[in-house]
Amino acid sequence: MTDELIDRLTSDLKPTAPRALEKRLWLALALGLIGTLLVGPLVLDLAVGRPLGGAWGDSMFWGKLAYTIGLGSLGLLALPALSRPDQSRIWPLLFAGALAMLALIVGTLGWMQSDWAMPVLMGATALVCPWLIILTAAPLLAVLLGMMRSFAPASPTLAGLAAGLLSGGFGAASYAFYCGETSMMFMAVWYSLGIALTALLGAIIGRYLLRW
Amino acid sequence: MQADATEKRMRELMLAALDGDAAAYRRLLAELTRYLRPWFARRLSASHASHAEDLVQETLLALHAKRSTYDRSRPFTAWLHAVAHHKFVDHVRRHAIRPTVHLDDDAPIFAFDDSAHAADRRDVDAVLTQVPERTADLIRQTRIEGASIAEAAARHGMSETAAKVSIHRGLKSLVRRFAGGSK
Repeated sequence: MTDELIDRLTSDLKPTAPRALEKRLWLALALGLIGTLLVGPLVLDLAVGRPLGGAWGDSMFWGKLAYTIGLGSLGLLALPALSRPDQSRIWPLLFAGALAMLALIVGTLGWMQSDWAMPVLMGATALVCPWLIILTAAPLLAVLLGMMRSFAPASPTLAGLAAGLLSGGFGAASYAFYCGETSMMFMAVWYSLGIALTALLGAIIGRYLLRW
Repeated sequence: MQADATEKRMRELMLAALDGDAAAYRRLLAELTRYLRPWFARRLSASHASHAEDLVQETLLALHAKRSTYDRSRPFTAWLHAVAHHKFVDHVRRHAIRPTVHLDDDAPIFAFDDSAHAADRRDVDAVLTQVPERTADLIRQTRIEGASIAEAAARHGMSETAAKVSIHRGLKSLVRRFAGGSK
């Protein structure tokens, strides 16, 4: 019986390219990013009424871009190892948590200097910001998780979490182009929340979808 | 070290298989089957021993479907161990089996090779073709299967003395032939 299985598997053998896993991840990242970037003009601009370049020229625009791309890159760093059965790489995830803490501390200091003014924390869009970040990140997360079904993560939950962090970070970076907020505290609270919720979503979906 | 030699051989087979070498792949899967079967069997209680074959097949299927997750720069045996362990845990959970593995029995997959006994048996069979069939039977029954000389003689309808002589002569001729003078 096992011999039959070996026959079947042998006849089904196709060559596998070196670093096939990384190549598939890059492909999923590219395809997913196209989807995520399209959410900007199609949904945020046309449906939500946010024109491109809300905080354009403000130094905080670059701050948001650096923070979100940094978090996304940490997810990307953890993803290949977490997609394999025999490897584990948790430190980028811990590092992402530390980075968010740091942003919160710096943001709180800034908020304190502005005498705890409510608009500094809430801006004008605080309550929609996290949801719009999840929405912007969704195409990338979907493509990534779909591609990752062919992987063999030692922990499907952690692999999903890393994919969620990656999607959330890059999704938030794309969202930053349509967001007019210019306060550090706003970013530290609401951007972090949006990215964290995306990561959580990835972990929950990954727990079931990435089983093998 | 034997483990290193195994790792080297397996890894070469795996790399060849990843490049599309079907013969190497077949050899790899066949060899792995021999290692995995006792590895799983030792992890299952006697009442679940029949699951070992299922687990071997599940592991081979996983190896096939997930072979792109093997990082070529890393040890193959570690990757395979992770796959087999994952399949074992998954299987045990799904069938609600409570495994009992002694702590000191957590040897790696490649510690025991099922084929050694098989190879020994083959050698014995090959050697015994050198003596008459009845003598070979007598030797096998008394020296390997543990029958007494009286039992073996009765099975062949001969006297005990004749059986003893036959066994003695057969062994002597084998020693002459295979011990080959040296020593």
